[in-house]
Amino acid sequence: MAEYWGVTVDDIFDTMQERFRPEGAAGVDAVFGYDIAGAGKWKLTVKDGAMKLEKAKDLAGCVASMVSDSETFVGVNMGKVDATSAFTGGKIKVEGDLGAFGKTGKLFRKYAPPKKEMSVKDYLADMFGTVVSRFKADATEGVDYIYGFDLGGKDGGKWTVFIKDQKCRLVTGIDCKTSVTLEFGEAKDYVDMILGKIDANSLLAAGRGAAIGDINIALKWGLYFEKYVDPMATGEPEQELLMLKKTISVNQAFVTGPIMGKFLNALKEKKIITNRCPKCGRMHFPAREVCAECRVRAEEWVEVGPKGQVRYMEYVYYSFPDPLTGESRETPYGMIMVLLDGCKGNDIFMHLIRSDQIDRIQGGRNEKSGTRVRPVWNEHRVGSIFDIKYFEIDE
Amino acid sequence: MGKRAAICAVAQVRNQPEYPHLRFQNMLLECFESIMEQTKVTFDMEKGIRNIITCSDDVFDARTISNNGVTDVVGAHFRGEEKMAQESINGLGYAMACILSGHDDVVLFMGHCKESQSESRLMCTNLAYDPFYCRPLGMDFRSADALQAGEYTEKAGITDEQLAKIVVRARRNGKKNPYARVNDDVDEKTVMSSPMVCDPLRALHCYPVTDWAYAMLIASEERAKEFTKNPVWMAGFGSCMDEYFMGDRDLASNFPLKNAAARAYAKAGVKDPKKDIQLFELSDHAAYQLPLWAEGVGIAGDGKGGAWIDEGGPDTFNVNLSGGHLNGNPLLLGGAARAIECFLQLRGEAGERQVKGVKRALAQAAYGGAGQHQAVLIMES
Repeated sequence: MAEYWGVTVDDIFDTMQERFRPEGAAGVDAVFGYDIAGAGKWKLTVKDGAMKLEKAKDLAGCVASMVSDSETFVGVNMGKVDATSAFTGGKIKVEGDLGAFGKTGKLFRKYAPPKKEMSVKDYLADMFGTVVSRFKADATEGVDYIYGFDLGGKDGGKWTVFIKDQKCRLVTGIDCKTSVTLEFGEAKDYVDMILGKIDANSLLAAGRGAAIGDINIALKWGLYFEKYVDPMATGEPEQELLMLKKTISVNQAFVTGPIMGKFLNALKEKKIITNRCPKCGRMHFPAREVCAECRVRAEEWVEVGPKGQVRYMEYVYYSFPDPLTGESRETPYGMIMVLLDGCKGNDIFMHLIRSDQIDRIQGGRNEKSGTRVRPVWNEHRVGSIFDIKYFEIDE
Repeated sequence: MGKRAAICAVAQVRNQPEYPHLRFQNMLLECFESIMEQTKVTFDMEKGIRNIITCSDDVFDARTISNNGVTDVVGAHFRGEEKMAQESINGLGYAMACILSGHDDVVLFMGHCKESQSESRLMCTNLAYDPFYCRPLGMDFRSADALQAGEYTEKAGITDEQLAKIVVRARRNGKKNPYARVNDDVDEKTVMSSPMVCDPLRALHCYPVTDWAYAMLIASEERAKEFTKNPVWMAGFGSCMDEYFMGDRDLASNFPLKNAAARAYAKAGVKDPKKDIQLFELSDHAAYQLPLWAEGVGIAGDGKGGAWIDEGGPDTFNVNLSGGHLNGNPLLLGGAARAIECFLQLRGEAGERQVKGVKRALAQAAYGGAGQHQAVLIMES
């Protein structure tokens, strides 16, 4: 039987029973006929809120019958053909009592074609098959990147996408060095991620996916390609969701008070000073009003450092927006805990290490000293923690 | 009577337009040291302070979990510390709960707000509103108050002259309070010619930007005498949250305040507030709120606030002898300021503004725009 929009005339009739609405049949007691050219004839009996459908040789005894060709019939049922214009254009005719036939409009829920499953293989074929058509040439001025996709599992495969001169080219396989390659152990995970069923971060965190190469380039994919549209999606969102963006901003000005003020002013003079607790002797970084452990004011000032040893350094790999500029920092960078000369125990000063030296830093342990470091002062000092640019190895 | 909780000591810095030489940590430290000096309380885990309540606001402090900025100077390390992120008077309700439940017997309660830090307090209160429907319209606590003011002044027949009288009285009373904000002297004419900021609110109808910090020590009935000879008892507390969206509310009805007061009165055994309570401290963020809240706590007739002003109601019932919120407290801390004034009056320590024979006093606090949240505390000597 011929298919129109993937649906046959039989599909429509075979689902009538399940689409039947008893509440729409209240007070209807009639037999309707359907004469669909190229498909056959059907008799629909409606009585007492129930229906019966049968194939028929002729439509004698029907109060009204619809006469149509198969394509128009399927089209009207799927909402692809406008029923009114089909009727006025003569593509649909009603023989018999036209008013009575109008009641059939309320008898059924709208026909919806059954969803066909797409396999992982189908999806990959479609996702990569549409890459070039989804390419946004205007957004790639000056861009010269090569994206690799290495997707494992039985349905997996390898693809390379080249962006250069505002053109996009897709090649099966990976035969050259890429700017970044997305590797997934199971191709299904990649498909689910693109379809929005799994969150990318959780896949990365679980080690089920990885970006080999420059992850920042991977993150830019969305700028260069239209979002992939799932052909199985109905086109209507399941919920009416919007994303509303908000930025909160209230200008504020903080006075330092005498303790914080003294500490920050000393930085201007290239000095690191701290206040010592009169009871327990610990020193405070940053300097603050009281020793919180002894609950007494700490008003004795001591100059320490400015050199010291690294007790601990952490590598930071994620690109955190710099709070001062809003720009993403270069990664990785090293955040250090420095024990300045003259301090002991946990009297730790925190700052950054020169980024080209992060691989050379050793943390101290117990009595063993860590890498010796010294501050690099900013030429323009204003009384801020960045009056020290960073620390560097003292050599 | 069952167990009670007492306020044993209070400390505060003066309300100021701005503390240019102190950050809020410094302001709190002065209050902290005063409480330690007055009461000799310790931080012993058996006999001393095990739990501290603070009150501050993330937006005014520009810091998520704003209490993190003050734990050093309120002695909070290595013990319980929790923040009241609501009007400060609720911290007293919370301290009562800690003590009456038997979990604590000594609680330190401290709060701070430096309104001068923000470019505009209105930008801060704008953030209290729904980000998608109300904030974009420019709603803040002042414009919300003005909606209520419009409705209420019409209902109660309040005139511009009466509002001016309220402002002048607040400033006159504030002069007798050594902790009150120092403001310019004004007369009725000056108030009535001050700019209209949001009809019917004039600039001088609104409380001025203020910095302040305070501390209180609260103890169980069994422990109170260790810290003071004259404990002040918290006899009843009630609070009520009205609806969030302004359109859902009947702004001039006083619904949340009546509700909160009824609960506090029931707990404290107050039958007739006019007779049973000798002093009232009301959180008048703007002038029109003085008669409105007076109606809400039952010392002015419903819709009769205008006549109540003309008849001298505020002086008859000893209302806001401290100068009230209108003279200047940070918005967040009005309730604590009201309770501290009641404490001083109940102990006979209110100096020039002392009322004789005060046995029971009422502190009321409002928060949110147009008094959305209301709380009432009944205190007794």
